[in-house]
Amino acid sequence: MAELTTDTELLALFREPATKEKAFTVIVKKYQERLYWHIRRMLVDHEDSNDVLQNVFIRVWNALGGFREDAQLYTWLYRIATNECLTFIEQQKKKAAVSLNEMESGLSNKIRADKDFDSNKLEWKLQLAIQQLPEKQRVVFMLRYYDEMPYEEMSRVLETSAGALKASYHHAAKKIEDFILNH
Amino acid sequence: MENSKEILTELQEIAPILGKDGVSRIPYTIPSGYFEDFSAILMSRIHLETAGIPDPVIAGMLNRNEPTELSPLEEISGISPLLAGIQKKNPYQVPAGYFEALKTKIPSSAVSSSIDASENIPSKRVALDSSLSTSDSIHFQQGSITSQVKTVFTFSRAMKYAVAACLVGLLGITIYNMNNRNVTDPISGLTTVSEQDMANFLDAGDFHWTPVTTSETASVDFSDNDIHALFSNVSDAELEQYHPVLLAEKGSVN
Repeated sequence: MAELTTDTELLALFREPATKEKAFTVIVKKYQERLYWHIRRMLVDHEDSNDVLQNVFIRVWNALGGFREDAQLYTWLYRIATNECLTFIEQQKKKAAVSLNEMESGLSNKIRADKDFDSNKLEWKLQLAIQQLPEKQRVVFMLRYYDEMPYEEMSRVLETSAGALKASYHHAAKKIEDFILNH
Repeated sequence: MENSKEILTELQEIAPILGKDGVSRIPYTIPSGYFEDFSAILMSRIHLETAGIPDPVIAGMLNRNEPTELSPLEEISGISPLLAGIQKKNPYQVPAGYFEALKTKIPSSAVSSSIDASENIPSKRVALDSSLSTSDSIHFQQGSITSQVKTVFTFSRAMKYAVAACLVGLLGITIYNMNNRNVTDPISGLTTVSEQDMANFLDAGDFHWTPVTTSETASVDFSDNDIHALFSNVSDAELEQYHPVLLAEKGSVN
């Protein structure tokens, strides 16, 4: 089954009880890394990311049977993963009863607490800069910058027009640049 | 579809610094073998969830390195070793045989209070168990003792009855007084009797009645002569019987 690469074939196999688990395992292996890094860049912490990634795939397991193939599977997966991340962040805020700004500074602190953190390295500065962004801009920037997602696909993931996403990305990139240059 | 080169060109136009080599490298690390094991761990979790095992348990088993919940002793040891070292001996004491006696006291007191309350005072029945019906007579068994449900006197309900009784009593007294006044008042009674009837009544009896027109005629002053005339045909013995003091007065007047 490993040689099967198209999502359509995998979905067909998933709908058959005999091959359901094998097809699902292939889907997980195919998308786990991309989704993990998307989540990790949002949440910073590995344990949190692992939790959310598992929740994402459990949702996929429960809902994939009814998935309509009018969208690409990976778009649908990104959408679930993004929503799960935002839900997780919301829950953390409620638990800690902190404002969004405090939550962002908490994520920045997590970055600084990483054993490999080096404030002189550009890649670490970039991570700090991303955490300064508003939630929506952060998602847009990461989908475009790291995942190289076309705006049309992104608009399906975030249910926002491509034009608005372009503007968000532009603002986000400028803010990040300012942050890097001034820190 | 845009390719990486187009995306990089777009980025270099917006923020050139972000297009530098190595900037997009993700600095985070992950545990070794994480992705190799992920699908197997995930499928185990799905199997367990399908079997109905609660999610937090599974999460604790498979994923997070969160510490499991500490026992009370471990918890207090972490907070205060001093408190953990103190024996949890209860310093209070109860009279000998208290709990044995309590077992029999509680049902019997429930029975007696039930009977007393139901005989004398309107009471409200309270079901001891919500699963029992709230019918008028509920019984429960404890050991060999069968007793009525404990009846509870509600003071507020009795007060309602008392207030209602007082109001009814006051109303009755008021009505009675109003009716009675109409009957006993001679003036109001006479208003319903015609003058002819009154004359007939007086003629039939041996009444000698002279109408008194004013109160002044009743307070005419008697002179000494009048008094002598009044008492002249009264013997001294009769006067003494009436009042000893009058005897002296008789002397002075006769």
